[in-house]
Amino acid sequence: MAWSLPRKVSAALLAILLCTAAATAIFGYSKFEGVLSSLVRSRYSVVVFSIKKDIEDRLALGLPLRQLRQVQDAIEREKIDQPQIQGIEVFDAAGEIIFDTDRGAVGAAVSQDWVQAAQAAGHQTFARSEEDSLIVGLPLVDVLGRVVGAGALRYPAASVAEEVRPLLAGQARSGLILLAGFAALAVLGTYAVLAPFGRRLAAMERQLQTTMAEGGPPPAPADNDPFEARFAAFAASTREALEHMQDATQDVGRLDRLEVRE
Amino acid sequence: MIRLDSARSVILRLMVLAALVLLPPMAIIFAGALGDFQQGMEPELDRKAATIGRDLAGDIAHAATLGIPLDRLVGMDEFFAPVLESNPELRYLALTNADGRILFVAGVQATVLAPHYETADFEQAGQRKAIIDAYLDIAVPLEVKGERLGHVHVGMDGGYVPARLHEILIDVVTVLAVAMIIALEVLLYVVALNAAGPLKQISRTFEAARRGDFIRIPAPGARDEVGRFIRTANDAVCRVDELYRRLIAYAEEVKSAHFDKGVVERVAAIEDRIRYLFRFSESGSPEVVHHRRALDVRLPLFLFVLSEELSRSFMPLYGGTFSLPGVSPEMVAALPIAVFMAAIALASPFAGTLTERMGSRRVFLLGLMPAVLGYLLTGLAQAEAGLLVGRVATGIGYAIVTMACQSYVSKAAIGEQKAQGLGVYVGAVLTASVCGNAFGGILAEHAGYRAAFFASAVLAVAAGVLAARLVDPAETVKARREAGVGALFRLLRNWRFAVFVVFAAMPAKLALTGVVFFLAPLYLHQLGWEVADIARILLLYAGSVVLLSPAVARLADASGWRAGLVALGGLIGGGGLLLPLLGGGTAPVLLALLCLGVSHGLSASPQLALVSDLCWTEVQEIGRTGVLAQVRLLERVGSIAGPILAALLVPVTGYAGAIAALGAIAMAMAVVFAVAAVAYGTGPTIGSDAEVRP
Repeated sequence: MAWSLPRKVSAALLAILLCTAAATAIFGYSKFEGVLSSLVRSRYSVVVFSIKKDIEDRLALGLPLRQLRQVQDAIEREKIDQPQIQGIEVFDAAGEIIFDTDRGAVGAAVSQDWVQAAQAAGHQTFARSEEDSLIVGLPLVDVLGRVVGAGALRYPAASVAEEVRPLLAGQARSGLILLAGFAALAVLGTYAVLAPFGRRLAAMERQLQTTMAEGGPPPAPADNDPFEARFAAFAASTREALEHMQDATQDVGRLDRLEVRE
Repeated sequence: MIRLDSARSVILRLMVLAALVLLPPMAIIFAGALGDFQQGMEPELDRKAATIGRDLAGDIAHAATLGIPLDRLVGMDEFFAPVLESNPELRYLALTNADGRILFVAGVQATVLAPHYETADFEQAGQRKAIIDAYLDIAVPLEVKGERLGHVHVGMDGGYVPARLHEILIDVVTVLAVAMIIALEVLLYVVALNAAGPLKQISRTFEAARRGDFIRIPAPGARDEVGRFIRTANDAVCRVDELYRRLIAYAEEVKSAHFDKGVVERVAAIEDRIRYLFRFSESGSPEVVHHRRALDVRLPLFLFVLSEELSRSFMPLYGGTFSLPGVSPEMVAALPIAVFMAAIALASPFAGTLTERMGSRRVFLLGLMPAVLGYLLTGLAQAEAGLLVGRVATGIGYAIVTMACQSYVSKAAIGEQKAQGLGVYVGAVLTASVCGNAFGGILAEHAGYRAAFFASAVLAVAAGVLAARLVDPAETVKARREAGVGALFRLLRNWRFAVFVVFAAMPAKLALTGVVFFLAPLYLHQLGWEVADIARILLLYAGSVVLLSPAVARLADASGWRAGLVALGGLIGGGGLLLPLLGGGTAPVLLALLCLGVSHGLSASPQLALVSDLCWTEVQEIGRTGVLAQVRLLERVGSIAGPILAALLVPVTGYAGAIAALGAIAMAMAVVFAVAAVAYGTGPTIGSDAEVRP
């Protein structure tokens, strides 16, 4: 199918409009989601920080980690206070879970990845992601500066998305309607800009066909457009050449016939 | 009224239209989204403040249950300090008693908060959140056994959410600016390819027909209104051509068969008159010519250079994520840039020869193979060796593709249009550099470094799809002269040229790759800037070159003060790079980049013209392109040395010191060049001219 010039330009404009909208939406949302995720993470890290502080204070009194039974109550209290929390675990340097909001998990081992992350974190938080959960943790450091374990909090990975979804659903709907409107404007605008262009070419085409078929005066250039001036000169000289050829052919024919008759 | 054969008049209108349909919807959508983002962030910030407040209140309440009065608590500063330290958006923490009197506060002067606390009624839930000065204050009740003892106040930075929204806004504005430039490139391509270009070609046929020349007609191209118009015009030419051939055939028949010599002579006279008045193709019909235009290659070149520029702002950061035993981290980060430059330098002469033999289109497509492979290898690299192999492949591809484009442009542009053709090439490269830098930074920040290389591969493939439509010439033009090693030594014997290359061209590239490509991204990252911000900061360099170059080119042509501008540029660049010595922080780096941009903006165009002045006789010998190719080859020595030298300096001097050291080298070189430029004199190099033409 042959595409007219306005259609080609409209397609290019629409592609640019869609790509720009997609890029701004993706980058804008991605940055927003990043900021919000880091806020959520830091909120949960405050909870872990509080647990860490509590445990480290008791460790500083010389109590071993395993004997800090109040920690179990503390983490359970935190989970009750904030129902979004999926679980809180406290594990030792070897990765064995000492306290867990899921009491059945006590004695099990956490992933070695967590243990390494805790060892590498120093006094900073570490973050991990699992299938449906995000994890934020803080290493437990004793008075000698040794990492003796870590506290980790698990929260749903989809929490940010769930929070943002209703906000953005409305925004996406109105954005799409607006984009559709401006896309239509782009198409109409392109036709408005380029339709006269096509009409002038079509008019020139007709003029040339008429000039070549019927002769007569060549088309007059409009608005001193150099292209149209050249076109007018072309039409005139082509017509002139055509007439020359016809005249010359007639001359040759006449000479041929005349002499034959004589 | 639109001029039919001018892309400019159509493009101007279409760009206004593009701005009208792109910017308002994005502005409206984004204004709404910003409101939503704010709504989404504020409750989360409140929740965080409440969590901190609850946690602190719990500990303080525990102390209170032990019978310690609130105003007698000790070590509250030490209690608040780690919380303030680990939460950057937290500005202060305060403890008030039941009357709202401040007992302890950390992070802000009590006088800022006291007037509010003393008047507020925190028993009403609605008053527990307040804006005080530039802070968002959240009051958390402190209760022991049901008795309200006071409040813990958590003061969040009131500018935190606006600052995050501002960051998002900057990214979106950057994307929109890049989109507008890409819109310009795409519309220019569509209009030039489908309307302005073909009409310019038929315009040549019109001009020729006016002189009685009906030898050539353009290929009609697409089946749109322009194609139809060209077909109609071509039909008119073909009709005249057909009548001419009938006439000639008839005349020949009469001349060969007629018994009357008088008739034969008169027919021959008619034939001669027609041949005198009009010219037709000897091939039996009008020759259909497929014209090439410099603009045809602009969008493929733009996309290809864009693909490379995406990684400009973070390449040393990405390189720095790898390691090599026994090699410093700085050198590991510098090597990918250096090997890329070396690959370009070594592949360029080979690429030139290849283009002459195979034609631009095929060489463009051939060059894409190593380039795309290189992007994929770079994106997938797990070790420094893989990264280096990827960069070498991309460098080879880059050399081949850009050489193919240069050749295409130079063959498409004839005579007076040469400068215009060069403008098409330089324009595409510079705009791609600006867009690539800006967009690549954002892309890397959101999707990661590796994703940016995969995006580069996609862009390069898109460039190839467009390049496949390019027209290769019917015959390849043999290079005028081989510009090989002999030419290089021939040029270096010209002391003016040697001084220019060593003291002006090489230091310019040394500063470019050493500072803009290598040191600036690493230093800015060390100063805490994110990749997208680094990319935008680097635009100071690219932007000033883009803005300054055209005006300086005109100034240099008008004044003839080319060596002076090159020397001045060198001094400004060298001097600017010394600025980080004055103090740390971002501002000196910004100024240094700006000075370097001004420096290269001042010297880039005059350098090209100066080469022709200095090597007048050599240009006659090996051609201007050959001489420029040698300059490009020699200045790559500076490009390769820049990151290597910088990487050697950083462990000794730090980033700021390394920038200043490269600045000192550039400055010293510029001084030598300025002194030598005084001795250049004016006009062609008569001495070397005499050697060649006795």
